Amino acid sequence: MTTVPSSPGVRAAAPRSWAGFAPAVVWVMWRREMLRYWRDRSQMFGGLSRTVLWLVILGFGLGAALREIEGYSYAQYILPGVIVLNVLFAALQCAIALVWDREVGILREVVVSPAPIFSVSLGKLLGGATISVAQGTIPLLFTPLIGVRLSVVSVLGAWVVMFFLGLFMTALGVIIATRLKTFEGFGSISNGVIQPLYFLSGSIFPLRGVIGGVGFLEIPEHLREELRRLGIFAIGGGWVVQLPGWIQALVYVNPVSYQLDLLRYVLLRFQQLPMAADLAVTFGAAPVAAVVAAWAMRRMTSAAR
Amino acid sequence: MSPDAAQGGPLNDRQVAGGPPAIVTEGLTRRFGDVTAVEDLSLTVHRGEFFALLGPNGAGKTTTIHMLTTLLRPTAGRALVLGHDVVSEPQAVRRLLGMVFQEPALDERLTATENLEIHAVLYGVPRGQVRTAVTHALEWASLADVGGRRVRGFSGGMKRRLELARALMHAPRILFLDEPTLGLDPRGRRHLWERIDALRREGMTVLMTTHNLPEAEACDRVGIIDAGRLVEIGPPAELVARHAPAEDGDLEDVFIALTGKQLRDEAATARDKMVSFARRGGEHTR
Repeated sequence: MTTVPSSPGVRAAAPRSWAGFAPAVVWVMWRREMLRYWRDRSQMFGGLSRTVLWLVILGFGLGAALREIEGYSYAQYILPGVIVLNVLFAALQCAIALVWDREVGILREVVVSPAPIFSVSLGKLLGGATISVAQGTIPLLFTPLIGVRLSVVSVLGAWVVMFFLGLFMTALGVIIATRLKTFEGFGSISNGVIQPLYFLSGSIFPLRGVIGGVGFLEIPEHLREELRRLGIFAIGGGWVVQLPGWIQALVYVNPVSYQLDLLRYVLLRFQQLPMAADLAVTFGAAPVAAVVAAWAMRRMTSAAR
Repeated sequence: MSPDAAQGGPLNDRQVAGGPPAIVTEGLTRRFGDVTAVEDLSLTVHRGEFFALLGPNGAGKTTTIHMLTTLLRPTAGRALVLGHDVVSEPQAVRRLLGMVFQEPALDERLTATENLEIHAVLYGVPRGQVRTAVTHALEWASLADVGGRRVRGFSGGMKRRLELARALMHAPRILFLDEPTLGLDPRGRRHLWERIDALRREGMTVLMTTHNLPEAEACDRVGIIDAGRLVEIGPPAELVARHAPAEDGDLEDVFIALTGKQLRDEAATARDKMVSFARRGGEHTR
C-alpha cells in the first residue's frame, strides 16, 4: 500500500461575481472552448474543405455559366455566403456539444459548483462566437484567388459581423441543445437548421431586381445603365428571371439574410437589403438570442427539472 | 421501518460535538411524473461518518444524492447539509460539498491540469493559489507525471482518481461519491479505495452509493434502499446480526431478507445507452 498524502484543498468562498457575472468563470469557460477548438483539427479541416468546395469549385464552376451578378463574379458573390456557412457550422457544433457536456461531460461538474450559470453560459456563447470568427476567416485566405481585395477596415468589419453572427447562431444552437434529449438528433440539426438558413439567405443566389441567368447575349452597357436607373439590375445573360415570391418571402424572414448582407457590404461594398435592417438584425438579434440562451441553460440546469 | 432506524441507531464515536449533523433529511421525496424515485426518506448522517446507500440500480440512490447536492429539487420533504437547506440555500450547500458523479464529468479533450484549473476557478480558489492547488491535487491522485496529458487517454481508474482529487480541491466538508468504483478493474478499485480510506482517516464525512458489498461493509453505517424507500439503516455488522444471523451471513443476505430480491441490474436507460456509445468512442465532437 502506498502512502497517500494529505488531501488537497484550498478554502475558497465562491467565484467573485456581480449579479451573476463572474469574470473569472466567463474567462475559464471561454478558454475551455478555445482549447477544445484548437485541438480539434478536424473542425479546421472541415472549414477548409467547405471553402474549397463552395468558393473554389462551385464559385468557379457555376461562375463559368453565371457570368456576373451586378458586376461581381459568382465566386466573389458567394464569398460572404461561404463565410456564413463556416460560421453556421462552427457555432452550431460548439453549441450542440452542450448535450454531450450535460450527459457525460463537464457540465454536471459545473452545475454542482457555486459558479453562476449565467457566467458559464456567457463563456460558452463568447467561445462559440470566437470560434466562428476563426472558422469564418478561412475563406478570407482565399480572396486573392477570386480577385477580392481586402483592406484592414474590411477585415475588421467582417470579423465584427462574424462575431455577432456566431454569437447569434451559438445562442440559437444552445436553445436547441437544451431541448435535445440525446445526441441522435444531431444529424437532423445540421440538415434541418444550417441548410435552410444558408440556402435562404441570398448566399448563393441574388435577391432583388432582375436576375440574369445563363445567357449568351451580352446586354449593352447603355441598356444596363437605363435598367439600373429603373431599379432593375441586369446581369450578364440575355433574359430576365424573377425570384419566386415564396422564396423571396422566406429570404426576408431569415435573419441570416441580413447578417450576410451586411457582411457582403463590408467585404464587397455590395448590398441588397436596407442598411438599417442589416444593422438592426445583426447587432440586435445576437444579444436577444444570447439572453434567451442563458435563460434556457439556467432552466435546463435548475433543480426544478 | 422503525423510528429508531430512522434516527440511525447509536451515534458514531467520531461525531464532532456541536454544530449541526452533516446531513439530515426529513420525508425527502422525489417523483418524476407518476414514478416515485425516492419516497419519504428520513435519515441523519453524522459528521465524520462514512455512510453508504446500498441498493440496486434504479433504487433511488442517485436521485437522493442529486437532491442532497442541489441538482434536483425534492417534490416533498426537506434536506439539510451542515445545517443549510438544499432548496433555500443551494449556494451555501454547493460550497461545502465535493461530488464525484457516477459517470466521469471531465472534459476529455483537455488535460488533467486544465480540468483541475477549471474546477479551481468555478469554486473561486484565489488566483495565486490555483497552481499550487492543481499540483497538490495531481500529486494526491498520483497523476503528477501525466498532468499535461489529455484525459481522453486516461484509464477509468485514472479518471476516477482525478475526479476525486478535483472534488477535494476546494476543501469540501462533505464528499458525495456516486458509485465511485463502478466499472473499475481490481487494481483501479484498490488505488481509489486507498485514497478514500485516507480521507476517512482525516475525518472527512462521506456519503457514497454503491451496490458493491465489500465497499458497503467497510462503511460505518449503511442505509439499504429499495424501490425508493429506505428499508433499513445501521452499522453493517449490526444489520447482518439482526437480519442474517447465519454464520456466513453478509449484507447481500440482509438485502434478500429485507426486500425478497437480489441486488439486481435493471434494463439500460436511454442515458445508459448514450454512455456506452461514448465509451465505444462514438460521436466526433467529443
